Amino acid sequence: MQDNYHAGFMTDNPDFGKRFQAIRGRSLVFLTDVIALSYLWTLASYCWNRFALGIGSYATLPWWVMLIVAVELAAVWENFGVSLGMRLLGLRLSSRGEKSGIATHILRYIVWHIAPLSLISFFFSSQQAPWHDRLTHLYAVSAAEVEEKRGPWYHTSWKNALALIAGITVLTAFGVTDVNLYALFTRASRTGRIWVRLLNPDFSLLGSGFRLLIVTIYMALMATIFAIVIAVPLSFLAARNLAQGVIGHAIYTIVRVVISVTRSIDAIIWAIIFLVWVRVGAFPGVLALFVHSIADLTKLYSERLESIDPGPVEAIRAAGGNRLQVILYGIVPQIINPYLSFTLYRWDINVRMATIIGIVGGGGIGQSLYQYMKVSDYRSAGMMMLLIVITVWSIDYLSARLRARLN
Amino acid sequence: MATKPSKLRSGKPLTRFGALKTRFGAFFVDWALWGYVAYAVVYLLNRYWYTEIYFYGRLTVPTWGWPIVILGTLELAVISHAFAQSIGLSAFGLRVLTQDYQYPSRAARLRRYLWWHVSLLSLPITLFGSGLNNQLLHDQMSKTGMFRIKDVKDEMPVSTPRAWYKTNRGVVAVLLIALTIWVGGLVTQINISALIDRAPKTAYMWKALVTPDFTHLFALDPELAVNANPDLPASIFSGLLQSLFMALLATVLGGIIAFPLSFLGARNMMGFSSLGWAIYWVMRGFFNIVRSIESLLWGIIFAIWVGFGPFAGVLALSVHTIAALGKLYSEQVEGIDPGPLEAMASSGARRWQVIMYGVIPQVVPSFLAFTLYRWDINLRMATVISLVGGGGIGRLLFYYKGQVGRIPNAWNQVAAVIAVIVVVVWLLDYLSGRVREKIN
Repeated sequence: MQDNYHAGFMTDNPDFGKRFQAIRGRSLVFLTDVIALSYLWTLASYCWNRFALGIGSYATLPWWVMLIVAVELAAVWENFGVSLGMRLLGLRLSSRGEKSGIATHILRYIVWHIAPLSLISFFFSSQQAPWHDRLTHLYAVSAAEVEEKRGPWYHTSWKNALALIAGITVLTAFGVTDVNLYALFTRASRTGRIWVRLLNPDFSLLGSGFRLLIVTIYMALMATIFAIVIAVPLSFLAARNLAQGVIGHAIYTIVRVVISVTRSIDAIIWAIIFLVWVRVGAFPGVLALFVHSIADLTKLYSERLESIDPGPVEAIRAAGGNRLQVILYGIVPQIINPYLSFTLYRWDINVRMATIIGIVGGGGIGQSLYQYMKVSDYRSAGMMMLLIVITVWSIDYLSARLRARLN
Repeated sequence: MATKPSKLRSGKPLTRFGALKTRFGAFFVDWALWGYVAYAVVYLLNRYWYTEIYFYGRLTVPTWGWPIVILGTLELAVISHAFAQSIGLSAFGLRVLTQDYQYPSRAARLRRYLWWHVSLLSLPITLFGSGLNNQLLHDQMSKTGMFRIKDVKDEMPVSTPRAWYKTNRGVVAVLLIALTIWVGGLVTQINISALIDRAPKTAYMWKALVTPDFTHLFALDPELAVNANPDLPASIFSGLLQSLFMALLATVLGGIIAFPLSFLGARNMMGFSSLGWAIYWVMRGFFNIVRSIESLLWGIIFAIWVGFGPFAGVLALSVHTIAALGKLYSEQVEGIDPGPLEAMASSGARRWQVIMYGVIPQVVPSFLAFTLYRWDINLRMATVISLVGGGGIGRLLFYYKGQVGRIPNAWNQVAAVIAVIVVVVWLLDYLSGRVREKIN
């Protein structure tokens, strides 16, 4: 039908998708640069405030000043060099073989400010390039089309910017965390006494320390054993490949969210909650480790389930096996060793955690270690530390050896 | 059937020195297991029989009880060795068979068990004398031997696999787990009735925990200003930034220091002289000892050293990071492909050149992955290290927890801090997981 009209009577069907792609790429590049520059600005003003003025504030000028400066700097950066966003998202400026000098770049920078008006031509013009590109014949093209000049890293603006961002982040970290190297060195002598006592443990506490150690190991053991009982069935509900139907997927999502949230809360925070519930002793410690272990083991187990070989499962299903038989003979033989290995690993972690959960009152050797530290009885604390080191080390070694055999 | 074992290529009975290592290993596993059972039995006797119970279950055994416990466990270990396929034998892949690879009769097993005692006494003669045909005495006298299962698999009578609850190992394992739960429940004072009875009393806490109060997310908390607590973060957000930067700084510092140390702790880099081996063992010991002490415990020491505040937290996390990353890094260095290194060394490259151009390019991606993983762990730790005076967002968490009962919505404030921690920890976990996937 279109062929019956003379050339130019009708334009091509506008390809909005392609134009949108071009705009999206450019906007993302611009956004990346503005965010990077704002970050740099914020941290730089923090460093200035912190180290020159001695106040811990992130802002010196109003936020809109910072935003305008960041936008202008991003525009300059994108018009005169390869910006961070351009590097990350693969865009370069190219004159497509035409002559272009510094004046072209300046012109493009000025015309860039009417770039938002190009959005109007998005609907009315078949051209994909915005006006500042078309007016200066300096186009933003994919990085693959442009030959890169190779030079040392400090000649490239985005590498400079990255180095600056990394440097200023570390500098800010020094400020935020109150790094005080002066105290570290001048107060070292104060701790000399402590080190001497820590390294001369009070061996008369060997017996009671050993009993506390037994409590700690049992805490880890009980938490792990009970967690397995819950985590194994949960892991089948939390495996994406085993979830079937709408209900199955809903359960999968709920279980996943719950274990992610539970896992993100450290066992010590759980111990605080359980201390309110069941009061002081080793029991709240066991419960805290138990809850954290369930979440962690379910995650590890279900990830293993998601990567099982579907061959045996399909074979049993094809032979007419029901769901239980599929699980028993198709899945269980594949997962039994990894599950044991994960459990050993988790037990190892639980022993470590059990040594510190006593700090909040969760019982075991950690609690008396913390109490000895509090009353500055460092020789007794040294004995507890020695026992902790020996236990954690040997259990770590044992579990690593056993896991190596299981794999 | 009655072929002489010496004529067979495989299935030689384990003899003398070669046998002793695995035999002792298997024996000690069994002895330790029976020792554990004895501990549990004595604990339970103390608990239920004696009226007087010492704090944390101090065991009281009469003087004559100790020899009984030691000899009794020893005998039980020997019996389980002679009469059954015990856990120790299974762990070391051993099996007691007659000399022509059949299962021994009861009488032969009994003879073996009885002769074992004579054999133990005459062990020095057996080991260092000419030996009885290179066999231990109880092997010889009962016409049985201890074999590696993998050596005699083909000659052994085929046994039908039995359900786990019918095998010796299965039953013992179940009994051990049951005993562990029993004793463990008593040792750790597990009190299910308290858990259930007190549950209604915690309802107010759970209600508050699911309705977080975000009013102090960005704003200054007037409550904190009144208390004039200069070391408290001004808001939840600034506490969060503190924790994030603490984790970042600890990971960067720890990584930078662990990088060179990991080469000193790698067997294949240091095994060129006895001095190198000495450095290797020192580094290994350092990594293992420092790693065994959790960063929270390091936090106690550094809080004394540099005073309370985030700097102590950074130092504690850094020290633990150095050891943990050092170990992970050095294992990576030990696992590299030696091919390129040999090629470089044979073309006359010096040691540092081999490391620079042969080792480092191979290990950098996995080093990066481990460092990201560690950053993740450090953030988790940075949220709770304020418990021992390490600063960060946990400072607010424990502050509000301490205010429970004093200010009305303290648990809601705690919930807000926990919610922020959950979001950030989850986000970083997800991001670092994605990046690590890309690196590998």
